[in-house]
Amino acid sequence: MTSEAKTHAIDISTMQRDSRILNLEEETIALKVNDLKLSYGDNEALHGIDMLIPKNRVTAFIGPSGCGKSTLLRCFNRMNDLVDDCHINGEILLDENNIYDRSVDIAELRRRVGMVFQKPNPFPKSIYENVAYGLRIQGVTKKRVIDETVEWALKSAALWDEVKDRLHESALGMSGGQQQRLVIARTIAVKPEVLLLDEPASALDPISTLKIEELIHELKKDFTIVIVTHNMQQAARVSDYTAFMYMGDMIEFGVTDTLFTNPAKKQTEDYITGRYG
Amino acid sequence: MRQSFSEWSKTGAPWVWLNAGAVAICLIMVVGLLTLIAIRGLGHFWPADVVQATYVDQGNSLRLIGEKVQAEDVPATQLRDSGVDVPEGLESMQRNLIKVGNRDHGGTDFIWVLDDLITDRSKPEMLFTAERREWGNFYGYLRGIKEDGKLVTSYEGYEKTDEYLALWATLEKRIERALDIYSDIEDIEKGRIGSINYKLERLRLQERSLQLKNVTDPAKYKKIDQQRAALDAEYEGLQGDLLALYEEFNRDSVTAEIASGKIVEFKVAHIVRAFLPNDMGLGGKIVHYFAKIWEFVSTDPREANTEGGIFPAIFGTVLMVIIMSVIVTPFGVVAAVYLREYAKQGFVTRVIRIAVNNLAGVPSIVYGVFGLGFFVYFMGGHIDDAFFPEAKPAPTFGTPGLMWASITLALLTVPVVIVATEEGLTRIPRATREGSLALGATKFETLIKIVIPMASPAIMTGVILAIARAAGEVAPLMLVGVVKLAPSLPLDMNYPFLHLDQKFMHLGFHIYDVGFQSPNVEAARPLVYATALLLVAVIAALNLSAIAIRNHLREKYKALEM
Repeated sequence: MTSEAKTHAIDISTMQRDSRILNLEEETIALKVNDLKLSYGDNEALHGIDMLIPKNRVTAFIGPSGCGKSTLLRCFNRMNDLVDDCHINGEILLDENNIYDRSVDIAELRRRVGMVFQKPNPFPKSIYENVAYGLRIQGVTKKRVIDETVEWALKSAALWDEVKDRLHESALGMSGGQQQRLVIARTIAVKPEVLLLDEPASALDPISTLKIEELIHELKKDFTIVIVTHNMQQAARVSDYTAFMYMGDMIEFGVTDTLFTNPAKKQTEDYITGRYG
Repeated sequence: MRQSFSEWSKTGAPWVWLNAGAVAICLIMVVGLLTLIAIRGLGHFWPADVVQATYVDQGNSLRLIGEKVQAEDVPATQLRDSGVDVPEGLESMQRNLIKVGNRDHGGTDFIWVLDDLITDRSKPEMLFTAERREWGNFYGYLRGIKEDGKLVTSYEGYEKTDEYLALWATLEKRIERALDIYSDIEDIEKGRIGSINYKLERLRLQERSLQLKNVTDPAKYKKIDQQRAALDAEYEGLQGDLLALYEEFNRDSVTAEIASGKIVEFKVAHIVRAFLPNDMGLGGKIVHYFAKIWEFVSTDPREANTEGGIFPAIFGTVLMVIIMSVIVTPFGVVAAVYLREYAKQGFVTRVIRIAVNNLAGVPSIVYGVFGLGFFVYFMGGHIDDAFFPEAKPAPTFGTPGLMWASITLALLTVPVVIVATEEGLTRIPRATREGSLALGATKFETLIKIVIPMASPAIMTGVILAIARAAGEVAPLMLVGVVKLAPSLPLDMNYPFLHLDQKFMHLGFHIYDVGFQSPNVEAARPLVYATALLLVAVIAALNLSAIAIRNHLREKYKALEM
């Protein structure tokens, strides 16, 4: 490794991270992926992925564009079902149950595995109604319950103080960063077990990005978080575990500190030192 | 510095000029069209001066009283051929169309006279015009007022004096009295007696229905008979009131001198409005003008639709369009949602889409024929068999009517709504749908709560186009429910209030009827323009209200700008 290349690598020690020593063997497992293969038509995009997602931890997927990290993320709440001619083999276990089993109620699964997308996608409704949407879908009608949940979700998403005086104004009048935190609030309002974040900060400015990262740090107490990101610094800052994917394969998966400071695979090292990607 | 043409054309300037020119031509045509119908139509309501003149033709001299309506040049040769003595050297002569009125005495309302043969023109202030319920306008000199056949007051001479003004004031008062009585009569005849007749008809149908079901319980028949007796008694009472009112109504009559010098007499009751056109100031004329326009838009037609108002036609048009919109919107939206959201995209959906687009191009009369054959005779006939057997052999829904007209037009316009809705559905961002699905909403919940509200402005665009097309349609309506004169409005105070089985009047058909089917073409022509202007105004108003709704929805569900 040349000294020039070393400047591109991420110096984990300068980041404010938990100093706890993590060990995958000791974690409770939220999601288990067994030999997952996915193809669009004749084109196989994931070639047999095996991995574990630990509970109440932040797991980051990194890798170059088109490596399949978003595709894998979208398998966890079966968003890929919406794509025509998408075929999936293998299994993903949530509480020992395969989410690709025939008997699974997809709407119920998506309530347990929430998702936040790359671009903020608030509904053209008021801020309040955006957050209440998931509850109303579940058939909650008591105003008091909805009020409380909306307040809790907005507070959890660090948005309450900014919007508490304009809850009934349109969500479309908010800034991009606020909208993304609103979407996070909307997702956690239905109290999912797993929170999938698909490049949640890629469309945002640095300040908003920082707020989202702080939020992720807070939320991992209550949720299992899986985040896809292009930004390696971000992965290093927010995640406990990191998976590096390349061309539809899981190249390396491990504790973030180890992966960034002492990668086991040459491909991983090349990627995090900026040789490609 | 001179620029070559090719350099000039490279700058794009000619292209801009061409575009701007095309827009300008469109604008000029639209504005020109509207101006033409506005001038021709609205001018009709202005009180024209009444001219008295002497017409000398082949030694006979004739007094004429009337309004000059139109003038045109006639080639001299044509006049010579028809035996008129035209001086040498003249290329053409002016010919005037004069509205002389008094159809009950002269036979025609309008005559053509050569301008050169008219002498002694004057505009006597004493000439009066009376608009009557029958026989058209009356022009002449007021001579006296009779009560119960006895002369009350009278005046001779042609000068405007205090005595004459007193006579005129008496006439105005008596006209006002007659109009008051007339509105009472209308109220009883159309309102209360109409309602009693309607109830009697319903009782008859109830009784017939009992007979058809072979009900023998005499108590039920007795109940109907009792109700009928009560209604009959009420009817008798009203009939008595009516007779008394009519007697009062017909008490007064007017004597007047017409152009030929004859003294004629007619009932004050027949006068709708009387005025002294040559004695009116500008203010008076303006008041008269707006009163006439108000009469035009707010009252029923008279005299085979050539006089009076067109309110039933406005009402019918608007009601039909509203019912059509209520039918077409859900149908179009549901069809579009299935085509776009649920159906598997492929050859079949493509064929259906092409078929739907082609349906929009089918001539409307074809829909009229289909509506008459399928809706009116087939469906209407079966509805009558199933639900209205007691009314047979008279059809209830098995005859053209408001409902079938609305449904036929809904069928005609449904492709527009489908296409516009599909367009709107494809424009909803995928991210928004996924956001809803990711929260555990089903596809149906996502459609109802997110996608369709967001597509509602596009749906409204479809409805606006549908309204624009339906409101102007005439041909299919002639087959499925529009009539020249409907005795009552399809919406009234008799249960069930909205009578979908009734025939109705429509502005488009009214134009056709007044313009081309009228016995009195000259009188009707300005009304054609006025009605056309009103039809344009009604369509514009309907469209503007739909556009206002769309803008409101757009503001509410404005798409994510990203």
